[in-house]
Amino acid sequence: MKSFVLACIAAVAIAVIGGVVLSSIQEPAAEAFSTTGVRL
Amino acid sequence: MAKLFGQFRFLVGALALALLVAMAMPASAQRNPDGSVNPTAQSVKEKQLLDALGAGGAISGRVSIPDQKSANLIHPAGRDWREFHEVTLRWIGAIAILGMLVILMAFYLIRGQVKLESGLSGRRIVRFNGFERFVHWMTATCFVILALSGLNITFGKLLLPPLIGEPAFATYAQYAKYSHNYLSFPFTIGVFCIFLMWIAGNIPNKVDVEWLKEGGGIVGDKHPPAHRFNAGQKMIYWIVVLGGTLVAASGYLLMFPFYATDIEGQQLAQIVHGVIAVLFVAAMLGHIYIGTIGMEGAFEAMGEGTVDVNWAKEHHSLWLEEENARTGPNETQRQPYPAPAE
Repeated sequence: MKSFVLACIAAVAIAVIGGVVLSSIQEPAAEAFSTTGVRL
Repeated sequence: MAKLFGQFRFLVGALALALLVAMAMPASAQRNPDGSVNPTAQSVKEKQLLDALGAGGAISGRVSIPDQKSANLIHPAGRDWREFHEVTLRWIGAIAILGMLVILMAFYLIRGQVKLESGLSGRRIVRFNGFERFVHWMTATCFVILALSGLNITFGKLLLPPLIGEPAFATYAQYAKYSHNYLSFPFTIGVFCIFLMWIAGNIPNKVDVEWLKEGGGIVGDKHPPAHRFNAGQKMIYWIVVLGGTLVAASGYLLMFPFYATDIEGQQLAQIVHGVIAVLFVAAMLGHIYIGTIGMEGAFEAMGEGTVDVNWAKEHHSLWLEEENARTGPNETQRQPYPAPAE
């Protein structure tokens, strides 16, 4: 039971870390697919 | 007269040639530099657009934003891909998953639970240590959520809106997609750990052939000898390692679109991801069945980490001999049977 609970906590922690890292390095679509002369 | 006729014939020929050149020029103006039809050209004909679609080409325009892929108005290969993920994949998934459920139910009704014939000995032996169980459960819990959220992509919009309504389905699908993306990371780490952790015990050998010939103790009443992992468990191991690698690799191509592939590569990644994933789900249903209700005493191996010595004797006799030779039979723990709540 302890292994299962720890596994669930680890899965959520890794997922959250992954989400935070991706959000910080990815460019929002409004910036990625526009030029300075385009307003989306 | 003959000379005059010759000059007239030359003049007609020159005019015909000029006419041909004049007709050819608009045709080249109707095409983009890459040869595809320019749909915004003034002289473009509907027939040309249809011909381009029929030949498997693309109809592209011109855009001023950096994403040049957005200039592609129609890509006929996309129709085949749509046919795949809207129709073919649903059939493959439904047949594989429902078919497996039917087989397991029929098997349970006919064969019943594989019982521990010699009964409990009261002595237990460690089957999986804490780290192995941690990795197994991390991968397994992620897999269940990935499977449900993934099946939602293929079957959700067909099955759920009539039951819960479209707004609720939209909210659920959004969070399912988030969990599908982010839980892929612990799942991938888990598959990699499983690969490293159990590779030594999962190389096929002669014992597996004999195990399979005797039905693995599941079909029939024999208990063929097996090392730590029998042939059935080895199959599951390789399905997890190879299938997990394929779904992870194709999934990351989809999560990071057009970083490593073009549109055809994206479509191929989705096809591989979808097909492997539904087959993976079907295989894991078999694994869950035999690890829970299908075999008495099997769940404790991963639930508690220990198994009864008689269970080990019946299902993994060679492994028990190896463990006894390594640690001595007295290392097996005499302890009360785990409470159901455990």
